[in-house]
Amino acid sequence: MSDHSNNPSYGFLIDASLCIDCRSCMVACSVENNVPNDSTRIWIKDTGITGKFPNLKRYTAPYHCMHCKDPSCVSACTVGALQRNEDGIITYDKDLCIGCRYCMYACPFEVPNYQWDKRFPLVIKCDMCLERLEEGQQPACAATCPTGAIKFGKYEDMLVKAHQLINDNPHKYVPHVYGEQENGGTATLYISPVSFEELDFPIAGTTSPAYSNRLVTEGTPTVAGVMLVGLTGIYLTIKHVIEESEQEKIELKNNNSQTAEEKE
Amino acid sequence: MLRKIINEIYNIPKLFYVLAIITVFGLSVGVYRLYMGLGATTNLNKAFPWGLWISFDLAMVALSAGAYTLAALVYIFHFEDLHAATRPTVLAGFLGYSSVLLILFFDLGRWDHFYNVFFHPNFSSALLEVSWCIAAYSLILLYEFSPAALEKTRWNWLLPAIKKYTVPIVIAGVTLSTMHQSSLGTLYVIMSPRLHALWYSMLLPVFFLVSSYASGLSLVIAGSTISYWLFRRSLKTKTIGKLAWFLPWILSFYLVLKFGELLITGEVNLLFTSGFYSFLFWLEIIIGAVIPSLMFAFKQIRFSRVTSMIGAFLVMGGAVLNRFDVTWFAIKPVLEQTYTPHWMEIALLVGISSGVVVVYSLIARYFPVYEETIAYDISTKPLRTSNKPAEVSASGD
Repeated sequence: MSDHSNNPSYGFLIDASLCIDCRSCMVACSVENNVPNDSTRIWIKDTGITGKFPNLKRYTAPYHCMHCKDPSCVSACTVGALQRNEDGIITYDKDLCIGCRYCMYACPFEVPNYQWDKRFPLVIKCDMCLERLEEGQQPACAATCPTGAIKFGKYEDMLVKAHQLINDNPHKYVPHVYGEQENGGTATLYISPVSFEELDFPIAGTTSPAYSNRLVTEGTPTVAGVMLVGLTGIYLTIKHVIEESEQEKIELKNNNSQTAEEKE
Repeated sequence: MLRKIINEIYNIPKLFYVLAIITVFGLSVGVYRLYMGLGATTNLNKAFPWGLWISFDLAMVALSAGAYTLAALVYIFHFEDLHAATRPTVLAGFLGYSSVLLILFFDLGRWDHFYNVFFHPNFSSALLEVSWCIAAYSLILLYEFSPAALEKTRWNWLLPAIKKYTVPIVIAGVTLSTMHQSSLGTLYVIMSPRLHALWYSMLLPVFFLVSSYASGLSLVIAGSTISYWLFRRSLKTKTIGKLAWFLPWILSFYLVLKFGELLITGEVNLLFTSGFYSFLFWLEIIIGAVIPSLMFAFKQIRFSRVTSMIGAFLVMGGAVLNRFDVTWFAIKPVLEQTYTPHWMEIALLVGISSGVVVVYSLIARYFPVYEETIAYDISTKPLRTSNKPAEVSASGD
């Protein structure tokens, strides 16, 4: 189990005010990771068309794995195919995965996707383009984004930048860095000109459901131990009580017969 | 010898063959699913990655709880009157669990990697705990049933050794069952964003455990009446009455837990304001807990075969509905995706269920499953109408 408090090394800062819905990040992602365009690891969330004619507005934002500090998917994965590495990236080992799809339900951000049409399907999930990172390159989506809506760098820098942008442009952004507190903190951070509910982002709490899950699963061995001892105790006690009462019955019978003999 | 076998084949009721054909068809659909992948054969999608199969598994495990509740009562709490019911219940439990394991296998996307469950465990996963406990407990059920299987064979010299270790094995089995009955609830503890607040609770494992006691006992009660109709062998009505005595207590405790949790978390208003969800919640609670706990409070109902069976079916129905609610109906749809099962999903389930009935009936026919139960002479007892034997036993398994 990874340390749940350490900050991730890398982070995304995604600025919804800059996204123009060109979807080149999706194309870049599908090319880089060799997945079809309809099941990329990144997709677009949008507000739909809002406002009154002629002042119509529509905001969009690219959306992919948040790389949580305390990821539910890692906690849920039956076989440990999903792991949080030392850089805080949630990685996926396709050789371990058994395809139980528990991660899809566990993720509070509805991120993991699945290759439904494959005979041996895999989970589709962003890994920050690990191979590109090793070569010192940016993830494909960040490198491709023509407007700079997807920024990538050191996590601390991204966090500082997010707050800086909001402070410098208080009328442009809502005062909320999505991902700073959400689900206990995530490596992907968002700033937006409209509220995140409008952008159709999931409303996540500040503690990860992984925490409540651990509370229960880590108590299990203790409960099992107590049960084994308790049940054995109950078994032996009841057995003893039954045997004793039978003994008494026999003694009582013997006594009765003895007294009967004496009377004769 | 050959003539004997042919004779047997003629003697087996035709219904068995119908069920066997359904089983073969269901299993072939299953093999087709393994070959074609999940997309072509199921309606599972991103918003509902788990469907009918998982709901069925959870319901089946809740019903199969009869085996461990009974084993605990008989071997640990020395409730000797009930001993006669252990073999049929353990067999039903074993077949129930086997079907669950089989369906889980068909449900795995990477079924070719299933062994990783055993070699690469992640101990914080509730699903790991469930799969380990179910696999281990199935072996224990096999052990508990082995005396019946070996009794009339040349291997019967093993019996004393098997009986010697029965109690420790039963204790291990009861522990494993408690673990996985509750872990099935734990599965959904991590899903707080997805499960409707009327069902979601940190106490889900406890809810699942308590309701499994009720549905397990109900299976024993209903099963004994069904076997009375089918085989004229059953528990005494006195014993059934004693068993049923537990139900109002368990169910009231369950009700207190459920409503207490809603009170404490301040979600009581949801009981009336959630539309269809409120309806589902009340349905499950009234059918599965309120009505039966009132019913079983009456002595006349506890000590009658028919009424106690009706009550038991209500409890089981409530438990099944509860599992379907938690796994399916009360899951909030996201991304505008909904889920209705594909016909192949249903076909595999129907196939495996009828397979369970076929195997159960064959084992009950050739092995001493019902021999310890009290036989009732047909001539002395008034014959009740029983034109629907096999269908009834399907729901009883």
